[in-house]
Amino acid sequence: MESAAGNIADVLKCSHISKEFDSFDGTGKNLVLEDIDFSVKDNEFLVLFGPGQCGKTTLLNILAGLESPTKGEVVDHGKKVTAPAPERGVVYQKTALFPWLTVMGNVEFGPKVRGFKKEERKKIADHYIDLVGLKGFEKSYPSQLSGGMRQRVGIARAYSNNPSLMLMDEPFGHLDAQTRYMMEEELQRIWQKEKRAVVFVTNNIEEALFLADRIILMTNCPSKIKKEYIIDLPHPRSYVDPEFLRLRREITENMDKSM
Amino acid sequence: MESKTSRFMRKNMAAFMTIVAFMSLLLVWELVARFTNAGMFLPPASEIISKFVESFTVPIGKHRMLVHIGVSLYRVGVAFIFATIAGIFLGVSMGYSKTVEAIIKPIFEFIRPIPPLAWIPMSILWFGLGDQSKFFIIFLGCFCFITVNTYDGTKNVDHVLLGAARMLGASERQVFFRVVLPSSIPYIFAGLQIAITAGWSAVVGAEMVRSDEGVGWLIVMGMTNGNTVQIMVGMLAIGIVGYILATAMAKLEGRLCIWNQQQGI
Amino acid sequence: MKNKTAKYKYRILSVCSVIAVLFIWELVTDILHLISPMMLPSPAKVLNTLIYKLTGGVNPDGATLLQHIAASMKIALGGYTVGVLVGVPLGIAMAWNRKFEMFAKPLFDVIRPIPALAWIPLMILWLGIGYWSKVGIIFFAAFISATINSYAGIKRTSQVHLWVASTFGASKRQMLFKVAIPTALPMIFTGLRLALGSSWVALVAAELLAATRGLGYMIQVARMLGRPDVIIVGMITIGVIGYLLSTVLEKLQNKYVKGGK
Repeated sequence: MESAAGNIADVLKCSHISKEFDSFDGTGKNLVLEDIDFSVKDNEFLVLFGPGQCGKTTLLNILAGLESPTKGEVVDHGKKVTAPAPERGVVYQKTALFPWLTVMGNVEFGPKVRGFKKEERKKIADHYIDLVGLKGFEKSYPSQLSGGMRQRVGIARAYSNNPSLMLMDEPFGHLDAQTRYMMEEELQRIWQKEKRAVVFVTNNIEEALFLADRIILMTNCPSKIKKEYIIDLPHPRSYVDPEFLRLRREITENMDKSM
Repeated sequence: MESKTSRFMRKNMAAFMTIVAFMSLLLVWELVARFTNAGMFLPPASEIISKFVESFTVPIGKHRMLVHIGVSLYRVGVAFIFATIAGIFLGVSMGYSKTVEAIIKPIFEFIRPIPPLAWIPMSILWFGLGDQSKFFIIFLGCFCFITVNTYDGTKNVDHVLLGAARMLGASERQVFFRVVLPSSIPYIFAGLQIAITAGWSAVVGAEMVRSDEGVGWLIVMGMTNGNTVQIMVGMLAIGIVGYILATAMAKLEGRLCIWNQQQGI
Repeated sequence: MKNKTAKYKYRILSVCSVIAVLFIWELVTDILHLISPMMLPSPAKVLNTLIYKLTGGVNPDGATLLQHIAASMKIALGGYTVGVLVGVPLGIAMAWNRKFEMFAKPLFDVIRPIPALAWIPLMILWLGIGYWSKVGIIFFAAFISATINSYAGIKRTSQVHLWVASTFGASKRQMLFKVAIPTALPMIFTGLRLALGSSWVALVAAELLAATRGLGYMIQVARMLGRPDVIIVGMITIGVIGYLLSTVLEKLQNKYVKGGK
């Protein structure tokens, strides 16, 4: 699909995005995003990496269509993004599962509201529940699951609409270190099986290096793109591989230390 | 951590202490009532219990006890159902639409602090002395709590969940029915729980002011005739039914909101 | 900017809505005479009566509005104070001492589901229709809310905090006063607020049934004399005072009870 957005293989094009909020005292403006410009290629695992809490979630919300930018625009497959849509699945930091629905209910929510018949949506949900390794937990409620398992449901739910792009907002940020490593491996396994373009936000450099095809390093407050790194280490990666460690040092040294 | 035996001991200890508590209360009561001057005001516990049991077969006034309870329950039931429908409807509309909120809320906030029983004189003027006037008062007693809680629930919907539903392709209508409504249910139930207790209290009050049957009538007639036994029998019935209503509501909530057992994230 | 104009829009809508209700009320009563003044007096008439009762009018119920308010407040605050003074320590004691809890909780649980109104006949029979019977009724209304909330508040004390306190060598007494009660304070305060609310509700009921002065009495007499304007004045007064009482306590709570909800 050739479009003004440029490259044929681009799934999503994010051009010159800026975002301002009214400051808390109401007198001025806070600039959180400044001139963010990048695109996401088909089946690419792109990591937005940066320190602090500033701007990254806002950027992801803008990509998802939940918020609108002050300047610039986001174009998805040649169409301007103005509202959330099933083509862009979101995995949230705090899972955002519907607590009153079971695992099955959560995963089939997307197909259900989009009008799929009962058997069809059950088939879809079964497939993705199986993919994320939750077979046997279909009837459990989110409150009965561990943090890692909830996040698996979140991933399956985002997959259920068969989106071309997955947006993940620090999905493992609330997990303990051990579960986090495991979930990173699991996400890698799932993604290798069902590839999608992914935009993954994190402030953990190991996580970024473990998962990414490409890392965009961002500065803090306002967030700007500082540098880009292509990571072509083979999967599965090792945290102690010399090249991994070299990249880790390089990126960390380039990081904006001011918080 | 305690061992199994000490836990067993403690559990039985609690049951034992409960029995001790009741036995000593009843004993002191019985002795005071039978052997001191207080007996003039305080009939012996045994007499109340036997009268209470008897009231299920021997009528007080027009009816036997179960019919009195039934009459009161019927009044509460009808008013409660109407209050539930109206309260949920109004609460949801106010929580969901800012326009409705702006129009209704000032009027609602003005009416809310007026206790339902303060409506009795007005409702007698409007509806006369019959059941209608009682329905109206009980309705008001339940309605405000249900509305306020439903409103809070709809207002407190997690915005991330709304975003998630839209992201998954839900229309505004679907967002409302599949996210806003279910996530308000615990709040609504909290409202229903308070409302059923308030409604029960309101029926007692309304029947005390004007009625010729029902549990409120039982105690107020006891007062008019200086019959302390009848008052206490009535109070016992009111307490038991009130307890059953509250417990049943809590059970129903547990049934319908299994997912809410623990704090879900 | 957009937010601010939206806010104004809703504010204006609210004002319009109140005006519309008053206007329709006036329309169906004074102007079109659709509803008999015996059923619903016009807002103008209610306002008139309110001003009359506020400025020292004693008809038709024998006392000015302020005298009725004073009578009601005296009873409500009397019963409330006694109820709280008994309820809060009882709740704390039941939650803190296991043995006492096992003994007292079942007895309390028997009293708890009986609405305060159901005590009216017994109280009147025992204490007559004077001041003390109404104080007794309101005592029960306040006592139950105060006890339940204090009890629940103390029960909420975190075991970890108690462990911390005991590793610092705190005595049992210090743990109660320095850990448990501060933890419970927000809930105790909530209890005080709920208790005040139920006291006010119970007061109206008590005065409807047995009183010679007070707001409940005023509306009851007004009904018998067929003066709905006085009833409405009384209802509004009851509502406003109830609202003020709960607002004052809420303000106090926000000011003095920090932390927790």
